[in-house]
Amino acid sequence: MESVIFYIFAAILLFAATMVITVRNPVRAALFLVLAFFTSAGIWLMLEAEFLAISLVLVYVGAVLVLFLFVVMMLDIDLAPLKEGFTRYLPLGIIVAALIVVEMIAVLNAPQFDISAAQATDGSNTKMLGRLLYTVYVYPFEIASVILTVAIVAAITLTLREHHRKLQDPAKQVMVKSADRLRMVDLRSKKQDGEGSES
Amino acid sequence: MLENYLPILLFIIIGIGFGVLPLLAGFVLGPRHPDSEKRSAYECGFEPFEDAHMKFDVRYYLVAILFIIFDLEIAFLFPWAIVLDEIGVFGLLAMFLFLGILVVGFIYEWKKGALEWE
Amino acid sequence: MIDMFLQDILPNVLKILLIVVPLMLSVAYLTYAERKVIGYIQVRIGPNRVGLWGLLQPIADALKLLLKEVIFPAKSNLYLFLVAPVLAIGPALAAWAVMPFDDGMVLANIDAGLLYILAITSMSVYGVVIAGWASNSRYAFLGALRSAAQVVSYEIAMGFALVGVLIAAGSLNLGEIVLAQQGGFWHWYFIPLFPLFIVYFISGVAETNRAPFDIAEGESEIVAGFHVEYSGMAFAIFFLAEYADMILISMLAATLFMGGWLSPFDGIPVLESFFSWVPGLVWLLGKTAIFLFLYLWFRATFPRYRYDQIMRLGWKVFIPVTLVWLVIVSTAQVFDIGPWFTESAVITAGGG
Repeated sequence: MESVIFYIFAAILLFAATMVITVRNPVRAALFLVLAFFTSAGIWLMLEAEFLAISLVLVYVGAVLVLFLFVVMMLDIDLAPLKEGFTRYLPLGIIVAALIVVEMIAVLNAPQFDISAAQATDGSNTKMLGRLLYTVYVYPFEIASVILTVAIVAAITLTLREHHRKLQDPAKQVMVKSADRLRMVDLRSKKQDGEGSES
Repeated sequence: MLENYLPILLFIIIGIGFGVLPLLAGFVLGPRHPDSEKRSAYECGFEPFEDAHMKFDVRYYLVAILFIIFDLEIAFLFPWAIVLDEIGVFGLLAMFLFLGILVVGFIYEWKKGALEWE
Repeated sequence: MIDMFLQDILPNVLKILLIVVPLMLSVAYLTYAERKVIGYIQVRIGPNRVGLWGLLQPIADALKLLLKEVIFPAKSNLYLFLVAPVLAIGPALAAWAVMPFDDGMVLANIDAGLLYILAITSMSVYGVVIAGWASNSRYAFLGALRSAAQVVSYEIAMGFALVGVLIAAGSLNLGEIVLAQQGGFWHWYFIPLFPLFIVYFISGVAETNRAPFDIAEGESEIVAGFHVEYSGMAFAIFFLAEYADMILISMLAATLFMGGWLSPFDGIPVLESFFSWVPGLVWLLGKTAIFLFLYLWFRATFPRYRYDQIMRLGWKVFIPVTLVWLVIVSTAQVFDIGPWFTESAVITAGGG
């Protein structure tokens, strides 16, 4: 049963990943990426990495890919110019792909990557993670917050460049008095005096 | 643990089914008389004269980026919240430092006007 | 293979249908209740023609939508146009898998229940964005963008509010969260976590794009927003998803802050035994109905927010409020301060 589900998930994952890079419409590609992340969450779940699997959906599917979709939605559908560079970038692409394969093999062969250890645990693995993350691994955890803060600052400096903006300050709008907006002027014609006091 | 996720898998499949089946039923039972006026995009009586996909304010991207960061923060808060009793004062201070650093970012964001919309 | 089907799959499918079918009926009658409630608030009587007191109105509406033509806009991306409603309803239904209806009455009793709900509901933004983009219509596109930015903003406030519940309960499992609130209504989390409770529910209203946060479909500005190009059953599915999400948010509010299936009379001498025959499910549904009524009441009462006001409320009010309250709650929890988060409170809660 489990192996059947695993193979179904693996097949969907491979299919979705292939579609991401072959489909022409970028929005569809982004949606296939959603499917890919979702099925890999399923596979992580089968490794009993409950918290990580659901976090993958929460963070990547729920947040990162929404940004992807925003970016991709603004692109032109017509991607012909992008394809022209394909052969030019091919050697570089192959080098990168080869590097990734080597890295993956190195990681998967590492002794820390022993899956049986993870499966031996039972009970809530969110709790287990919590016990370690905020005590033993507190230093990397704090570094994560620094990185996130840098990301906030970077995102703002990159996107918010313009200074000229029309802002509405609701507090000021509420506080406004009739005297600030309306000036009463006397417009009665005063023929005897020659002219009106206001022009 | 895994046996608890089988109903969820089934539920997702059935949920998708509840999206697909009514659509199919709508096709089978509904009439189909398309004409060019009916199929044109709604635009308050105008002829739609160009592609509706336009460039939009960069602030939408900013919100999406900030959302990712805060979402990660929530992902960090969840395991912390449920083991708080076990990790005690040390865990509490560790998270306060974490949140403190991020609050600096949040204040920066606020002061820079990244949260202002017009 | 057939054995496995009979043992594992078939019972689960039946249970799922036992959740989904009543849910669909509730959605239908929620639309009826909405029209009636808003009608009476506005001194009208609402639907009263189809069946007794108009009770068959939702059935008639469903049949009408079923028999309407599904129109495909000429310049739309057909494939994505059809995927969008499915992406909207799938997560809206799947989130119900971990909802506890009574003690032990839960389909999937997973440890990370609340995290699962947060993750799966965060996917509902795709239905909206894809619908708006695939329609290739100005109004739909604007509505989708607005809605997406709003939903993600309020998701943060909601996530922070939920962390408060987790601190108090010490578990992600929804059933355990309810059991941690045992011992009378003064143990329910809406009292110690009051600001988070308010933030949670208002964020919930914003997440479901309901009035007064319905800027994504503000009729007076952008017609119907992201689903302006949808008709017939395709539209009905978005509608179903929105209402199913409303019920989900209401039931979650009841579960997380109002003691779920627990009786409000627990711990009160005479009333406790007097009401002990009432099943937990009834209490849960009653509490859910209160929140649903609030949804309708809000819609009839408040004028729509302006977009900048919505973003300001989410980022500049809710996030600071929840952060401050999280600091207070977590400190109280660790140092056992206050009437709620001390160890002894937990023990008396267990004793009843």
